[in-house]
Amino acid sequence: MNERPSQWRALLETQWKWTRGLSLIGVLLGFALPLLSLRTAAGMESLTSFISMMGSWGVAYAIAAGALGLATGVLVWGFDHRLRHVYALALPIERWRYVLFRYGAGVVSLIFPILAVLIGAEIASHSALVPKELHAYTIALTLRFGFAVLVAYSLFFAISAATARTAGYILGAIGVLIVAQVLFQAANTHVDVLSNAIRLVITTPGLLAVFGGRWTLIDV
Amino acid sequence: MTLAIETRDLNYQPGKGFQIANLNMSVPSGSFYGFLGPNGAGKTTTIRLLLGLLKPKSGMITVLGHSMPRDHVVVMSKTGYVPERPHVYPTLTVEEAIRLHSAFHARWDANWARELKQQFNLMDDRKVGSLSKGETGKLMMLLALAQQPELLVLDEPTDGLDPVVRRDVLEALLAYVSQHHATILISSHLVHELERLCDWIAVMDRGSLVAEMPMQQFKDGIKRLSVINPPAASHDAPFSVLTRRTDVLAGEQWLVRGWSAEMQDYFAPRGATLQEVIDLDLEDGFVELLRSFRSDAMAGGVK
Repeated sequence: MNERPSQWRALLETQWKWTRGLSLIGVLLGFALPLLSLRTAAGMESLTSFISMMGSWGVAYAIAAGALGLATGVLVWGFDHRLRHVYALALPIERWRYVLFRYGAGVVSLIFPILAVLIGAEIASHSALVPKELHAYTIALTLRFGFAVLVAYSLFFAISAATARTAGYILGAIGVLIVAQVLFQAANTHVDVLSNAIRLVITTPGLLAVFGGRWTLIDV
Repeated sequence: MTLAIETRDLNYQPGKGFQIANLNMSVPSGSFYGFLGPNGAGKTTTIRLLLGLLKPKSGMITVLGHSMPRDHVVVMSKTGYVPERPHVYPTLTVEEAIRLHSAFHARWDANWARELKQQFNLMDDRKVGSLSKGETGKLMMLLALAQQPELLVLDEPTDGLDPVVRRDVLEALLAYVSQHHATILISSHLVHELERLCDWIAVMDRGSLVAEMPMQQFKDGIKRLSVINPPAASHDAPFSVLTRRTDVLAGEQWLVRGWSAEMQDYFAPRGATLQEVIDLDLEDGFVELLRSFRSDAMAGGVK
């Protein structure tokens, strides 16, 4: 432990201390979700209700991916924020490189929950509980989960890395939408700004489109 | 005289109210430069501007021959910084904090870091967040010294430390300076501490540099004069009269700056007698300097 580590390794080791607990929760959740969804769906009487039950678990994957990305994005900057970035700013490293290392270290901690989804999905799909007429989409589900986690992480990493002023602008923009919606409703118009804005973000090619659509391990 | 730090017409205003205005500062290479000022004078803000932690509104900053904040990577690789408040991640152990810091400093002296760790009684497995104030101060000094900097910037490094820890920290600092001939900028409001250490002194108040000179000149130049039958006006004096106070013994006590022995000839032609020249210590000089600066500033404000 006495030799000088590389900057990347030193930051990775430091950040791993902060995110490993969250990564572990992500691993447990990612591993359990495919198994739980199949276990619940296996009790269904018809194929249609089996597929429907598997599909309804899709929300759980999306929420898990969003929450994991959000928590990691916020956590990686937590201690820098608390120390008012003095340590980080006083290090002899270009600011963009430091941000890149922090981002990369966060991605490394997210790899494990994504792999856990793959392993959990593989185990579930090879169990006897899957009806013969249906197919398992382990890789597709894992890729979707991984992509969703990375999108959520990148978004909240960027917001969290920004200044309080930038965060204020984002919250302000959301606030303006809500106020506009209230005013339109008070004026008895049929303009739905909020729903349109949400649709714009979560439908293709919206920023969070990956969270919409179908998340299912077993399908036709 | 080469300069380790130079600022020209430096301006910074974080919001309404406080500002750093037209700061011109020159820290000679190899000097032990004391940066004095009351709390809230702008010392920490100035230091953060010098090290590129804050972006100035206008003006020029040169540190170790490099422009700041543009060249902050080069400058910070040669600069050890001990900030006012602990800045090391509290979840790391002492060993991990040292390992992290060493990764960013090519000239890191691992052997000396080990020696300092022993000298400071710092345990490897203790969490930084659980260290006492004194131990945290020692750890920050260790991190700053073991990177073998050409410039050390210390922002109130001994504030709140007990005398024993303060001595340990200052001894390590002096040992480093004697071996490496580094430039030290140390900010403090503990005047006596700086008086013993520094060969240059700067005084800051309300975002402005009130004085900057060699310590000896500062101490020699500020005197209290006991004057009998003083002249009504003293604006033609070859020294600056900071304050005049009526003495109980029919004379006046003058606090002057820029004094030298030959200036005593000023009094006789004006019918006055210089009875006594009293040496002031740094603290007296510092307090009187601030007092006169503030009264000048208020007079300027009234105009």
